[in-house]
Amino acid sequence: MKVMIVEDEMLLAMELESEIELAGHQVTGLAMSSSQAREQINASKPDFAFVDIHLMDGPTGIDVGRELAAAGIPYVFVSGNIKKIPEGFAGALGAIEKPYTMNGMKNALTYISAIVGGDESGAPPASLVLAEDANAGKRFG
Amino acid sequence: MQEKDQHRTDARDAGDRLVAGHVSEDPFAAAFKATRMPMIVTDPNQPDNPIIFSNEAFRRLTGYTDDEIIGRNCRFLQGPETDKATIAKIREGIAAGQDVAVDILNYRKDGTTFWNAVFISPVRDEAGRIIYFFASQLDFTTVKSREADLAAARHQAEAEVAKHTATLHAALEARTLLVHEVDHRVKNNLLTMASIVKMQTRITTDHRQRQTLMSVLNRIEALSTVQRKLFTLDDVSKFDISEFTRELVTDLVDATGRKDIRLSLDLSPLLVPAVKATPLSLIVNELVGDAVRRGLMDGGGDIHVMVKRLNGHFLIRVEDTSEPVEPDIESTELGRMLIEASALQLGAKIERKQDGRKTVVNVVLLVGDKQENAH
Repeated sequence: MKVMIVEDEMLLAMELESEIELAGHQVTGLAMSSSQAREQINASKPDFAFVDIHLMDGPTGIDVGRELAAAGIPYVFVSGNIKKIPEGFAGALGAIEKPYTMNGMKNALTYISAIVGGDESGAPPASLVLAEDANAGKRFG
Repeated sequence: MQEKDQHRTDARDAGDRLVAGHVSEDPFAAAFKATRMPMIVTDPNQPDNPIIFSNEAFRRLTGYTDDEIIGRNCRFLQGPETDKATIAKIREGIAAGQDVAVDILNYRKDGTTFWNAVFISPVRDEAGRIIYFFASQLDFTTVKSREADLAAARHQAEAEVAKHTATLHAALEARTLLVHEVDHRVKNNLLTMASIVKMQTRITTDHRQRQTLMSVLNRIEALSTVQRKLFTLDDVSKFDISEFTRELVTDLVDATGRKDIRLSLDLSPLLVPAVKATPLSLIVNELVGDAVRRGLMDGGGDIHVMVKRLNGHFLIRVEDTSEPVEPDIESTELGRMLIEASALQLGAKIERKQDGRKTVVNVVLLVGDKQENAH
C-alpha cells in the first residue's frame, strides 16, 4: 500500500519510512506540517497515513486527521500522548503510542495492511489502540 | 388634636392607676422603676396600644422624656433602616396575644440607632383577658458591632484563602504541564535513540555487529515500553507490571511471525512503585527474550507467563517448552548481567529449573512494605 508519514521529527520519520518499506510498502511522502500534509494528500492520494499530533505548526495533526477521514483515507495517530486525541478519535482507525518498539510497529503494520486490504479477520496487536476501545473509555478512564 | 390629647391623658391615667395599685413601698414597683433594664408597659385596651408607663432606664436608652413617651405607640422608636419583617413579627405576636422576642434596629430621639433585643409579653387578669403588654429592652449594639467585625474578618480570611487557592491551582497546573512536557521529551528521546541504533543496524553489513546492535535495541525498547506504561494509571506513582508484561510478551511473540508458538498468560494486576518499574521490567524482558532466543524463535513451542501475588509476595514466572538451540553467548551474558543487577536492586530472588525441554524461572519479589501489599 501507499503510505504517507506526517511527522515533524525527521529522524523518526525517516526511520519509520525504512520500516514501512522493509515491510513491502511504498512511502509516498513525508510531511512535517499540516500544510505539507494537505499538499501531499491531494498530490499522492495515499492508501494509508501515520499522523503525529504535534507538527511544526503546532498540534495540527488532529486537523490533518479530520481531512484524511473526509477524503476517505484510513490513518492512525502516532503520538506520545494519546490522551490528547479528541473523543471520536477524529475518524482515525486507532493510535500507536510513542515510543513504539520495532516489534510493536511491525505488528501494527501487518494488522493495518490487512485491514486496508479488506481482511478484518486478524486480532489487533497490543501496540495499536483501536478507536472503538478508546471511545469506550476503558483504557484512559 | 384634641382627641390625641385625650388619648394621652387616658394613657397617663391608666399608668397612674397601675402605679396607684401598688403602695409606694411595693418592692416590685420599686424594682421596676430602679432597674437598669429598660422597661415599658402598654395598654392594649386603648386605641393604638399606647405606652402607659416607662422606667428611667428606658428614658436613658431612648433619650425621650416621660411626656414624650406616654400615650404613644412603640413604633416611634422605628426608623428608615428598621427591618419591615421584624416589625410585622411584633405586630403579629401582639395581635395573637403571644410572647415576642426579636432583635430590632431602633432610633433614639437624637436620631442615632441602637440594636434592641426586645421581649414583649402579655399580662392577663384573672379572667385571662389581656390587660397590659410588658416590654423589656436590651441594647446589644456593641455585640452587634463585634459580630459585624467578625463577619468582616471572616470575609477577609475567605478572600485570602480564595487567593491562595488560586495561586496553588496555577502552580499545580504549571507543574502538570511541566510533567507532560518532560514525559513527552523522554518518550521522543527514547524513540530517537532507538532510531539511531536501527539506522546503524541497517548500515552495518557485519552479521555479528548487527546482532549486537539488535541486542542493544531490544533493551532500549524495553525501557520505551516502561515509559509508555508510566503515568497511565490514576495513581501516577504506581506501575502495573502485568500490563507491561502483556504488551511485551504479545508483541515479542507476534513479531516472531511463528504460528507454532503457543502463548498463555496468567496475569493479575500488580501495582509496584514507579521507581521499581525499570529493574522489574528489565527482568521480565530478559526472561521472555531468553525463552524466545533459546528455542521458540527457531522451532516454536509453548510459553506460559504468570504474574500474581503469592503469600503476600509478588511472583513472576516464565515457563517455556521448546527444542533448545545454542543462544548467542554475548547476548546471553548481557541478559545475565541485567538480571543480576536488577534482582540485586529489587532484593528479588530468582530460581531457575530446567527439566529436559522445559525451563521454569521464578522471580519472587519480597514485599516488606505494607503499602505495596495493599494494592
